[in-house]
Amino acid sequence: MNDNFGPKPWHQTNWDFRAAFNFMFGSAGAGLLVAVAISGAAGNALRAEMLLGMALIGAGLLSVWFEIGRPLRAMNVGFNPFTSWMTRESFAAGLVFALGLAAVWFASLHLAQAAALAALVFAYCQGRILQAAKGIPAWRVPALIWLVFTTALAEGAGLFVALAVLADTPARGALGYFSLALIARVLAWSIYRGGVAKAAVRPALAALDRAGKMLVQLGTVAPLALLLVGWFVPEVARVLMPLAGVAALATGWQFKFVLITRAAYNQGFALPHLPVRGTR
Amino acid sequence: MTRWAMVADLRRCVGCQTCTASCKQANATPPEVQWRRVLDMEVGEYPAVKRVFVPVGCMHCDEPPCMHVCPSTATKKRPDGIVTIDYELCIGCSYCAIACPYQARYKTDRASFAYGKATVQETQAFNPKRLAVATKCTFCVDRIDAGLAKGLTPGIDPEATPACVNSCISQTLSFGDLEDPHSNVSQLLAENQTFRMHEELGTGPGFYYIWDKKQGDASA
Amino acid sequence: MNAPEPAAAALAAYGKRATYCYQCVAGPDLLTVKVVDGVATEVEPNFAACGVHPGGGKVCVKAYGLVQKTYNPNRVLTPMRRTNPNKGRNEDPGFVPISWAEALDTIAAKLRSVREAGLLDASGYPKVAANFGGGGTPQSYMGTFPAFLAAWGPVDMGFGSGQGVKCTHSEHLYGEFWHRAFPVCPDTPMCNYVISCGANSEASGGVVGVWRHANARERGMKRVQIEPHLSITGACSAEWVPIKPKTDPAFLYALIHVMLHESARERLDLPFLKQHTNSPYLVGANGFFLRDAATKKPLLWDLNCNAAVTYDTPDCDPALEGAFACDAVEIGPDEAVLAQGRLEGSPSFAKLVEHVRPYSPEWAAEICDVPAATMRRIANEYLDHAQVGATIEIEGKTLPYRPVSVSLGKTVNNGWGGFECVWARTLLAVLVGALEVPGGTLGTTVRLNRPLSERHESVKPGPDGFMHYPMNPTDREHWSARPNIRNAYRTMVPLAANGPWSQALGPTHFSWMFQKETPKGLPTVTLPEVWFVYRTNPAISFWDTKGVSATMARFPFVVAMAYTRDETNHMADILLPDATDLESLQLIRIGGSKYIEQFWEHEGYALRQPVVAAQGEARDFPDIATELARRTGLLEQYNAAINRGAGGVRLKGASWYFSLDPKVAHGRDEIWDAVCKAASAELSDGKEVHDLAWWKENGLATKPFPHADWYLFPTLAAQGLRFEVPYQERLYRIGKELGNRLHEHDMQWWNEQLAEYQTLPKWKDFPGLWEKSLLKMGGTTKDFPFWLLTSRSMQYSWGNNVGIQMIREVADNISGHRGVIINTGTAEKLGIAEGDPVEIATPLNNVSARAVVRQGIRPDTLLLIGQFSHWATPFAKDFGVPSMNSLVPMSMELTDATGSGADVVRVSLKRSGVGK
Repeated sequence: MNDNFGPKPWHQTNWDFRAAFNFMFGSAGAGLLVAVAISGAAGNALRAEMLLGMALIGAGLLSVWFEIGRPLRAMNVGFNPFTSWMTRESFAAGLVFALGLAAVWFASLHLAQAAALAALVFAYCQGRILQAAKGIPAWRVPALIWLVFTTALAEGAGLFVALAVLADTPARGALGYFSLALIARVLAWSIYRGGVAKAAVRPALAALDRAGKMLVQLGTVAPLALLLVGWFVPEVARVLMPLAGVAALATGWQFKFVLITRAAYNQGFALPHLPVRGTR
Repeated sequence: MTRWAMVADLRRCVGCQTCTASCKQANATPPEVQWRRVLDMEVGEYPAVKRVFVPVGCMHCDEPPCMHVCPSTATKKRPDGIVTIDYELCIGCSYCAIACPYQARYKTDRASFAYGKATVQETQAFNPKRLAVATKCTFCVDRIDAGLAKGLTPGIDPEATPACVNSCISQTLSFGDLEDPHSNVSQLLAENQTFRMHEELGTGPGFYYIWDKKQGDASA
Repeated sequence: MNAPEPAAAALAAYGKRATYCYQCVAGPDLLTVKVVDGVATEVEPNFAACGVHPGGGKVCVKAYGLVQKTYNPNRVLTPMRRTNPNKGRNEDPGFVPISWAEALDTIAAKLRSVREAGLLDASGYPKVAANFGGGGTPQSYMGTFPAFLAAWGPVDMGFGSGQGVKCTHSEHLYGEFWHRAFPVCPDTPMCNYVISCGANSEASGGVVGVWRHANARERGMKRVQIEPHLSITGACSAEWVPIKPKTDPAFLYALIHVMLHESARERLDLPFLKQHTNSPYLVGANGFFLRDAATKKPLLWDLNCNAAVTYDTPDCDPALEGAFACDAVEIGPDEAVLAQGRLEGSPSFAKLVEHVRPYSPEWAAEICDVPAATMRRIANEYLDHAQVGATIEIEGKTLPYRPVSVSLGKTVNNGWGGFECVWARTLLAVLVGALEVPGGTLGTTVRLNRPLSERHESVKPGPDGFMHYPMNPTDREHWSARPNIRNAYRTMVPLAANGPWSQALGPTHFSWMFQKETPKGLPTVTLPEVWFVYRTNPAISFWDTKGVSATMARFPFVVAMAYTRDETNHMADILLPDATDLESLQLIRIGGSKYIEQFWEHEGYALRQPVVAAQGEARDFPDIATELARRTGLLEQYNAAINRGAGGVRLKGASWYFSLDPKVAHGRDEIWDAVCKAASAELSDGKEVHDLAWWKENGLATKPFPHADWYLFPTLAAQGLRFEVPYQERLYRIGKELGNRLHEHDMQWWNEQLAEYQTLPKWKDFPGLWEKSLLKMGGTTKDFPFWLLTSRSMQYSWGNNVGIQMIREVADNISGHRGVIINTGTAEKLGIAEGDPVEIATPLNNVSARAVVRQGIRPDTLLLIGQFSHWATPFAKDFGVPSMNSLVPMSMELTDATGSGADVVRVSLKRSGVGK
């Protein structure tokens, strides 16, 4: 029998790494825009980080563009704002680019903050995109929305912290925000893990657990520990901070890569009743 | 109002795949694309094991998740319940395929043929519009519409009936109007116990599975 | 130039054309093909036929492959000649295209030289042989080729390509003997309870089988499937009983035991047993009937007058049990008087009761690995459903109504144990009066008795109050010491009879086996000088495929009608591209009662017509046959054969005359025009004559066929004939006589088979026979612990369609088409996971496969669906799926008395790359 045809759930084959990149780069970019806006950065630092955030979002969208069957019709993605979170994501992305570019042009923190709001919407849309996919039990768990959203915050903050070290020791406020984002993400993971246990099949759960373990240990505990050490031993902070940021970013990316390309088993088929052939 | 629906009597299906073959031919789908197919399922453990043949495909849902997620509005639902895809609008993002809990949607990026190179019949049937976009069972909507225009009754008159139903050698598949209480499908649903696939997901499939006669009739 | 007929050019470019598909024995299916711009695009049921066809006019999945079959780029589309004189699997034939003229000239020259030297060779075997596969279905495609063969004279059609091992062989022979039942099936539309021992009606019963059983299921018919694996039919049954392979006789005997030893006699149909079977016939001490000394008629004991009377005494009440003394004579084989005077005898029913006494469910449970309680319950359910005493009115006739039946599958029916199963099945019907009555167990058609296909007309009085049966003679004067063909059916198998189909119903593997060494007493088995092959691939479809291929590589001149290259035509000298299903023309008889479940309430004719122009240079069969006849100087005989009905219909009738001028070569359309006219005249008793154009437009024409004619019982009863069951005095006698003849010729190699001729068949350790054979091959049951079986595939059976991509694709949706089915627990123990490469081996051979892990199979059983393992057929050669045919040897010890063998072999299994 052709294994692709079930009836036990099998892994979806429609979205590959290209789709995963959108969720990896897009959320990191959106998160970075938020972190920049919160940090109160100004001038060229603001410009550079805003540009990087938008570039990441753009790279994610470009990656998806390479995956769609009819790339020349890409603009049709905007035709269904009424029900499609993919359309809404594209609108949010448009807004991010418009406001972000304006912020860069004017080096305006206010515009950057407005762009950050749009980026938050963008990150939320990404969560909703996955959650609306009813065919994938591991995705349709409502808690996934907030997990995707908080990974965006954590990845963006991590990236911001890592980049900030290039210029100077990050402000304590930024580190606090980063810590909060990490905690929010791990909490969201914990809630999601509780929900997905009832929905997903065993191989999907196994893949998620492996990625989740990394998210908790390397992506949460380790960076928080590094931050703590850096707090008390400032002389090593310049080394530890970027490590913490990269760990948060990398584990978030690997989690989403797994979510899209390893844990996305479909619904399969199941019968609530067996047919009665002749007699019971 | 009309609500077209399919009924599959699981007591009757033998998994012969005649519906699969007829669908492939009537709709000229490329290799490995099966808008209608029949699953071969095993339930239980040896020796207490049952084997069931289950026709599947697009369920033409009341609340099609594929339509809600579609960013291009290529997927639509007609007032008669048939879920359609506009090949000219579709961007081929496959979001609908991911959203469908029935694995009913296909996307073929490149033209493919039974023996590599297109035969004369494949060349004639080839439709480039179907490349790199989502495709799925249409309930043979063209036959239904053309048949209705001629005053025929889908599900009764072969010319107006989906190819899979016409071909079914065990009378497993029936097609008709759920809103008409006298239709063949309404009668079947009235007389038998049925379920719909993954009903808990709230999609409202237009595809019903008969598994037994109604309890009151069980002793008859 | 394509075909000589210009008809192809005149085909309409658009529209639907009516035709038929007869690719499998469960056909024909009536269909239409849509044509768009001169291209065939879509097969559909012929909706105009749904009122007359017993399967609602539907069309099997195989027919949907016909469009792709037509346009398959792998087709052979020109005649080809072999350039490499060396033949063999590893030899490239070096086929080069040639013209039709060259191809036909070459064949005709060869045939003429054969004819000039004599039609028979030194051993007395025909020099020309021919093979057609698919249980007789090629006849619905080969047009007038049978007329050419008839004009030629003796032709050996007994080289097996699956006959005897892939059919239901015992059923064919014994079924036809006992109730004119070449195939047997339940009266599904009226039956309520079916015990199915491996019958696979859902996979091999065609559209009609599937249709009727689906209706029956919905109606509430209970079917219990007794089979080592959960087949398609098992899946669609109410209950699956996983029985150990080849132990079905024990299972059935246990049911009979329950009915005869644990149930009240009144639950049986005693009047039926007394009046319509040989149950009351008195049996003497030597096992033969006690006979009236003067008339030699068998005797029975009349309870009314307490005296022995002849079986045909009116108004007697025969005893079924007891022992009685009477004046009688007991006559054995070769007319030997074994005893006479005051002799003691018991009714054969009493003998039966004693015979099955040891066969209790507890006894059978050990053998079959089925709980005794299950067997007891099934026996009682069977009795409960039998409705003994009930009647039903059909078309104004009141007939017994017994809605219970037993059906048997291929491997149950073939080889050792087949006789016992068919006997037990027939007996189970007879005990409750359910043989050949509404609801019961029915025969479908006749192939050994004459007139062919006319069941009721074939019922003629024979000896001892039974039907006549055209046994091959076993008496000293008439026994055939010199076989007419290589498989020696006339010499070795009396039940095979001597009709047109008999050649294929002998031990067809002998034709291959004896090429190595002919056993003592038979003339040396020779190679045929010319071999015609059409729609068959014995290099794949028979056993010992390596050996068969090597043998056919030695055939000096092989002519293959070739659709694509394949494993058999790899050895051919000439390939001829014949027009395929949608390109050619033929009228065939439809309706009445035919194979499997084909019970119609109509009969008539259907036309297969060109839907599209033939591809390349493919030619329709009549054009090939006519040319061969002309070039071999046989035109007159050929035309005469067509006039006699070799095209399917006699061209001359009571009030019509459409015979062809025998001296002239006629074109295809001219021939079928005459056939069409004769057929329509026959259908209407001469009132209507429709030409080919009319048939092309209409596709089919029928007249009513009485439903009551599905049942043979009334015909026997009207002639005062009895079913020759349960006691097999005649078989016992001919077995003894055959033994005498063989031993007179010092032929001792058939002795084990001779033991199968029994009055009441005993249980033997049937699985043990295969285990013994394993030992002989050098293996032990410990090292080769699995039973390898096969099962038909709905998508492929008989279809000759392995090269069709769409069929492959849709068949893959059904488990087992990609590898060997293994029980989940067994696979776990052996460390085998789904899709793993595995090796299946006998002591002599091994094959590789992918594991298909399923719950629905016994832990000691493996299953390979269908017959694949192709190495030359384009597309199919890339499947990578093995066939059990590569593993099963041909052997004398596993050949039963009917010349049949079973698809069973003991094997080992391991994950590839793992040491023993």
